Amino acid sequence: MTVAALPISPHPAVDGGLQLEVTNVSPQTDSIVSITLADPSGRKLPSYVPGSHLVVQYGGEGVNAYSLTGSGNDPSEYTISVLRVEEGAGGSMAMHRLTAGDHVYVSRPRSAFAPASTATHHLLVAAGIGITPVLSHARAAADHGTTSSLIYVYRPGAGAHVDEARELLGPALTECSNRDSFQTVLTEQLTAQGVGTHLYVCGPIPFMDAVLDHARELGWPSARLHSEAFGAAELDEGEPFMVNLVRSGLRLEVPAGVSLLDTLEKAGKSVPNMCRKGICGECVLPVLRGVPQHRDLYLTDQEKAENTTMMCCVSRSEDPELELDL
Amino acid sequence: MRSASMPPAAGTGLEPGFRGVICASFGTGDTAKLHSDGQPKHDFRFDAATPEALSQLRSALGCSKVGVRLLLAGPTPDIRAAAAVAAECGLQQEEMTLLSEEAAPRAIYCPHCHSTTTTLRVAGSEVRCKGCGTNLTTTDHFSRRMGAYLGYQAHVEEAS
Ligand code: FES
Ligand SMILES: [Zn+2]
Repeated sequence: MTVAALPISPHPAVDGGLQLEVTNVSPQTDSIVSITLADPSGRKLPSYVPGSHLVVQYGGEGVNAYSLTGSGNDPSEYTISVLRVEEGAGGSMAMHRLTAGDHVYVSRPRSAFAPASTATHHLLVAAGIGITPVLSHARAAADHGTTSSLIYVYRPGAGAHVDEARELLGPALTECSNRDSFQTVLTEQLTAQGVGTHLYVCGPIPFMDAVLDHARELGWPSARLHSEAFGAAELDEGEPFMVNLVRSGLRLEVPAGVSLLDTLEKAGKSVPNMCRKGICGECVLPVLRGVPQHRDLYLTDQEKAENTTMMCCVSRSEDPELELDL
Repeated sequence: MRSASMPPAAGTGLEPGFRGVICASFGTGDTAKLHSDGQPKHDFRFDAATPEALSQLRSALGCSKVGVRLLLAGPTPDIRAAAAVAAECGLQQEEMTLLSEEAAPRAIYCPHCHSTTTTLRVAGSEVRCKGCGTNLTTTDHFSRRMGAYLGYQAHVEEAS
């Protein structure tokens, strides 16, 4: 057993969490591996809400969040899938080096993409690695006897969990490999859902935006729409916007590609922070006016809808200007 | 005005897959004054929110699809009962408009941006602030200082 992968001490973002052992590593595609974690002494793990994620510490000090792919009901193991991102901060590369027997620190599962309790049908839409949290939703729905259907967009040969999705959903799965066929299927599905349906989408930001916009155009109110901006903050530099710091009387511009947190720090404002990835919840700021573009994994759907707080390390603004209580 | 283009289906008179506006009026309630754009429309007229009326509404919503909107007009207790049935069917607050016949247009004060928004909706329903876009829940509290009813930030709680 190699314990080399276990850092000396847990990162604050996984503090109070669990120390787990890698029990299985299996490649899903050329660039995606599934990693199974279990308690070294075989104890049951905490249950989780479908769509939850786990913060995993890699190397000495990095942390990353990964969606759990199980139903969350009384699990004896946790499974996550990790896409290798060559130009990323190195987390995914370190994760891909894990082998069975390694130990890792992880947080307790966190829920930020929960199913609506009143929904009678779940329409799931995923692109690429975005399959992971919606697979969890599909499994939980099957367990609870609720129906779900899934539109899964992936490049031929690069789809993770395709076999599981086929087995789980049967004819309720539609696989798409190109934009045109996806658009057709999406429109069909968005206009054919009973009034008990909620929609859940996970994938790259432009993909999610397109799906959500299309749904809104077809009369879907935001209370029916759920999305997970997974790992998206790293991949999208966003639009520039202004922030007005009411208490300090400062007005700052946040350029594209620069985070609000970086901008505030450069202006001499210190904001508590830990992960700088929208995971830990440390960098929360009160919003007085304007609608933040939430890109974190920390706030719940409801907290996001309230628009009174934001995670300044990854989130930006829908409006040209935000007013902050700072 | 009844929409002539809609071939009535058995029971509800509603075309399966309907995604237009369902207008239900109770008593002397009138849904005509709020609805103007050219969306497909289906009218129900009930004397009151009787079990039969509510079950007709339920089956109409049962064969509708997401995108449908519900407009309710009449005495407050009737439209509240109808709204509760709609919520049970899965309809969201944002998809319903409640027109209480007692209600004259009311100004709702936004605590966030201090602007006021005029609405016909009854207390307890949601209205989007014209100033800042916040969803406000309307209240019965009239502030003489503001000259408007107070709104508070709507929490997206499940209707029970
Ligand atoms: S620093 Fe962790 S959420 Fe922003
Ligand atoms: Zn306002």
